[in-house]
Amino acid sequence: MSAKPYGILAEFDSPAAILAAAEKVRDAGYSRWDVFTPFPVHGMDKVMGLKNSLVGWVALAGGAFMFLNVVGLIWFSNAFDYPLIVGGKPMFSIPMTFVPAYIMMIMGGAVGALIGMLAFNELPRFHHPLFASKRFALVSRDKFCLLIGALDEKFSETETRKLLESIGGAHIEIIED
Amino acid sequence: MIMSSHPGKTHLPPPLDLSLWSKLPAVLMTLGGVLCVAGAGFSLVEFGFSWLLAFMFYLSLALGALFLVLVHHLTDAGWSVGIRRFCEHLASLLFPWLAVLFLPVLLLSPKIYHWLTLPASDELIRARWPVFTCAGFVVVSALFFGVWWLLTSRLRYWSLRQDVTGDALCTRKLRFHSGWGIVAFAATLTGASVFWMQSVQYQSFSAMYGVYFFSNCAWIALATVYVIAALLQRQRVLSDLLSENYFYFIGVLFFAFTVFSAYTEFAQYFVVWNANMPEETFWYLIRENRAWWCLSLILIFGKFFVPFFVMLPVQAKSNLKIMIPICLWAWLMQFGDLAFNILPALPGWHFPLKLLWLPLGCLMFMGGFLGWVFVNKFKSHPPYPQKDPRLLEALGFHHLDCEEVSGAAPTNGGQR
Repeated sequence: MSAKPYGILAEFDSPAAILAAAEKVRDAGYSRWDVFTPFPVHGMDKVMGLKNSLVGWVALAGGAFMFLNVVGLIWFSNAFDYPLIVGGKPMFSIPMTFVPAYIMMIMGGAVGALIGMLAFNELPRFHHPLFASKRFALVSRDKFCLLIGALDEKFSETETRKLLESIGGAHIEIIED
Repeated sequence: MIMSSHPGKTHLPPPLDLSLWSKLPAVLMTLGGVLCVAGAGFSLVEFGFSWLLAFMFYLSLALGALFLVLVHHLTDAGWSVGIRRFCEHLASLLFPWLAVLFLPVLLLSPKIYHWLTLPASDELIRARWPVFTCAGFVVVSALFFGVWWLLTSRLRYWSLRQDVTGDALCTRKLRFHSGWGIVAFAATLTGASVFWMQSVQYQSFSAMYGVYFFSNCAWIALATVYVIAALLQRQRVLSDLLSENYFYFIGVLFFAFTVFSAYTEFAQYFVVWNANMPEETFWYLIRENRAWWCLSLILIFGKFFVPFFVMLPVQAKSNLKIMIPICLWAWLMQFGDLAFNILPALPGWHFPLKLLWLPLGCLMFMGGFLGWVFVNKFKSHPPYPQKDPRLLEALGFHHLDCEEVSGAAPTNGGQR
């Protein structure tokens, strides 16, 4: 493969160090960057300016879709296509549909959340450029990594590397796409 | 030291001038008292029902606050340290103040509870002997208040003691009392809801009733806690303790209980609807007619659908401009819900608006009185537990240990 950069990776030693580094990267005006830590770092979402994920809306759509679907199914089968009296109840009424519709709404919401999560994460995929880095595996042990993506408007191999050096990043390496 | 929370502290609006509001309890008590006296002169039966309605409203609030305190100790929670003290004050309204306010219900009980005057040969009464008798009513009611007195006084005693000594024994005692307390709480709450509220129509049965009342207790208590917490933050009383996360947590619980309360109400309705037995359906049939039909629709939408969809987005739960109106709306809905349970039992009270002034008068009188007691309790003690072992955590010092071991691997996963 030609050496097209995916981003520059830098390594830090503590949650406090990565939090401070993230603040400086944000202040330098970068927008396409990410941090990788072995555990959630309190306050990182605020520092990175992360917005709420859109997955919730997909879950809502999935839930609403399944809810209406089941209400429609019960109406169609019980009151329209083959009217049938069960237990002296009306052919169709809201309380009667509620329990199965509610159950399927939960199902639809869960499936919607799963599909939304996969879609926004661009998953499934077979490989990721970061896996090429040997040191990247340490983020699941005791290291904290910061990646600035090559798609960022401000990205430049020399300037970005300088920034990461100045904020105390170790083992800075260019990840190839 | 990195303080990860307190993002909203800098843009907190200036404190409100509450000097005028200090007269509110007196005004409410006077106005409500006049309405109560007028109502009692007008009709003792209707006054009794209205008083019971207002009493159950504040009872649900105090019981809900007691639940929050119990759960705080049982789960060893860190975040809820800040709200614990005023929840204890709310819970301790149960005894003696709510017990005092129960006396009119006791005195008027033959007029409110039809079964007290029925002959003992009545099948439904005989089956519930000896609880459904005059003596049984007094003894069981006294038992409920006795349990609440023991529980709330112990929880408050050890909590205030902790302020002085900071001893670990206080925390252990608080957990011990919460342990037996949560069981006693469940039993007495169920008993109180069935005995004082459901039995106004003693012919009805519902295994869901206690759970249903409980869910509303926690719901209304959380709404109240949200408003009080917001006020205390604005007045800079708890502004160090209450971050944006705090309101999110209370909001999430409030949202959860919105769903849970709707679930219990629907479950009760669904079982009755599905079984379709006359001895059960009569309860809902009364409430499906005349103005009660409108009230039931207002409750379905106002108590569930509207709050549910308004609070559904994540950001809404910590947005005071959205949540404060919803919490105040919750008070109205809880009042409507209790009215929906209690008032239809009174024959002839088909149009709730006709005599709305009487329940509102009782509500104002009790609200003024209990509000005054609460404010005095709050003023005479520190606003939050001074030496709670989880106080630092509640203050938002999440990175304390990470800082101390900076450079080394965090020994506890970096949390707390």
